[in-house]
Amino acid sequence: VLHAARPLHTTQRRSAPLPPLPEKGGEVRHGLIPEEFFQFLYPKTGVTGPYMLGTGLLLYFLSKEIYVINHETVAAICILSVIIYGVKKYGSHVAAFADKLNEEKVAKALAVKNEAIKDLETAIEQEKKEQWRVEGRGYLFDAKRNNIAMLLETNYRERLLTVYNEVKKRLDYQVAMQNLKRQKEQDHMIQWVEKNVVQSITPQQQKESIAKCILDLKALSKSAQAAV
Amino acid sequence: MNLSFFDQFTSPCFLGIPLILLSTLFPALLIPAPENRWLTNRLSTLQLWIIHLITKQLMIPLNKKGHKWALILTSLMVLLLTINLLGLLPYTFTPTTQLSMNMALAFPLWLATLLTGLRNQPSASLGHLLPEGTPTPLIPALIMIETTSLLIRPLALGVRLTANLTAGHLLIQLISTATITLLPIMPAVSILSTSILLLLTILEVAVAMIQAYVFVLLLSLYLQENI
Repeated sequence: VLHAARPLHTTQRRSAPLPPLPEKGGEVRHGLIPEEFFQFLYPKTGVTGPYMLGTGLLLYFLSKEIYVINHETVAAICILSVIIYGVKKYGSHVAAFADKLNEEKVAKALAVKNEAIKDLETAIEQEKKEQWRVEGRGYLFDAKRNNIAMLLETNYRERLLTVYNEVKKRLDYQVAMQNLKRQKEQDHMIQWVEKNVVQSITPQQQKESIAKCILDLKALSKSAQAAV
Repeated sequence: MNLSFFDQFTSPCFLGIPLILLSTLFPALLIPAPENRWLTNRLSTLQLWIIHLITKQLMIPLNKKGHKWALILTSLMVLLLTINLLGLLPYTFTPTTQLSMNMALAFPLWLATLLTGLRNQPSASLGHLLPEGTPTPLIPALIMIETTSLLIRPLALGVRLTANLTAGHLLIQLISTATITLLPIMPAVSILSTSILLLLTILEVAVAMIQAYVFVLLLSLYLQENI
């Protein structure tokens, strides 16, 4: 249980900025001995100093049998040669693999950033296009206005035609009525005249007319025979 | 230092102070702590990648409840890997050659899987004692056999690891003794045994890694059956 009588972590931990961490580790010679050791011995013993020291130490241990050569020596030689061979052959590949892992991490983050930038740029272009479209607004409205005027005109003319047709239908009806009436009157009159004429023909008149017709026919037939 | 063949397997002592705890915990010093930065150096990146690989491999077959075991299985794997690989260096002591240590790792973990299974799903756990599709007359015999195989699992786990590593180390010692003894007598045979030793060393590196993986894999398999 933490009893926080005073507030914790209220200020930054230090006032001075720290130097950035080094990017690579210290330089090493032969994979084991730091370069600083060689630089340390250089002023007194030159370039071969540390190597002489190493050889001397090794011979001292061997000759005084502080280090005894036994079966483990051979095993040591074997395992060390396997390790050194592995490191020399695959060391750079492993390092490149580790670098690739880091690169992929960075690339993923960069990809997100670039994606966002690209999306925003596309949005900007689309916005510019919209602004250009706005300039053509006037033409668009004029065309629409013309369209509507044409529609209205068409509608008006159609309705005019309808009115005309309706009126014509009614007038035709009246004309037809008059013609019918005239026709009926004429027929009736003809019928009445015929009836009266037929009634007025007495039987005497009928006989006389028939006899006359027969005489005419005889005369005609004589002249007709002559023609043949 | 006159070494006999079995000096490498004696638990290290210095002036009467047992150093076994130190030798078991020492590999933890070699593993860098996970750093608080986004892009780490090569070693930390590789370590993170390996741990991701191991954990993914172990946890994929397990269901959600089994993922509670992720930490212990992964850390066990890393411990065994480092201990086994460090044991190949000369004049080192490998804690996993001691049967006591391996049984101490295998027995409690196996018992934990068994008790988890018996506690949460007893009939399913006991059902594993009978494989599917056995003919009826064989059932009693098969249950006995399966029970025996279940109870022998911790012993097998521990002894497998111990035997593999002990045998490997012993073989290395023997062949290097032969090499060094034959060197003044028959140099040609000595060179032959050196080549054998090189191959054996490569084999031992592989065995060290494989045995660690097998140990943890079998534990995760026992867990799969019981969780």
